[in-house]
Amino acid sequence: MESGGFDHVEFFRALEASGARVLLIGRQALIALGLPVNTKDYDLWIHVDDAAAVNQATAPLGLVANYTPELARTRGRYVLENSERVDVLVARSVSTVDGVMVFFDDVWSRRERVEIAPGVSVALPCLDDLIVTKRFGARGRDADDIQMLEVLRSRRT
Amino acid sequence: MPPRFRMPSDEAVAEARALAERRLSAEEFNARVNAPLTEEERAEMLSLIDWFMRRYPTPAARLAQARQSYLAAERLRKAARGSD
Repeated sequence: MESGGFDHVEFFRALEASGARVLLIGRQALIALGLPVNTKDYDLWIHVDDAAAVNQATAPLGLVANYTPELARTRGRYVLENSERVDVLVARSVSTVDGVMVFFDDVWSRRERVEIAPGVSVALPCLDDLIVTKRFGARGRDADDIQMLEVLRSRRT
Repeated sequence: MPPRFRMPSDEAVAEARALAERRLSAEEFNARVNAPLTEEERAEMLSLIDWFMRRYPTPAARLAQARQSYLAAERLRKAARGSD
């Protein structure tokens, strides 16, 4: 157990064991891919039918959902929180700042898995899709992150 | 002796956070994304990425390091608040 009472490996283990379709997005995904950025929050994009499974799996870690799965689905997002904060997108599709609709099922079909600890892994959008997800929030730091992701992409090709 | 670090006020932190969280218009956002990087900026980014991936060669190591950094920063923040 980490200081602070939250074990991120157990968090990912619980998500994986739930069988829910969960994508790690946001800066934690960037870090997993190799970008040296800072963040304290976890950002997930989950399938619209899987909020209950995610909530049930993470409840033993003390994470509490701020909306019921039904209400979360209506709103398109919710938060799991205790001393940590997990922002959860729960939508079939999300619009970028340019109005381009991005569909969960498409991103999920192209996902990549990364190992978090022995026997524990999490799904990430592929690099191209991760760049697109950075256009959802459209904050200044998302633009900066896209520039870094594009540098990383150019290095891979 | 260097000046003692003072934590910014809660109001200043809230103001900075609001600015950082502001959603940009499509024009503002695309202008920032498409701002050309100089060769020096690009080389520096690559160098940082290379260092990070050498130092923490697996996703697990990188996520663990990020978590430890965050916890260390939290401890510092709490200690600084406590000494105000």
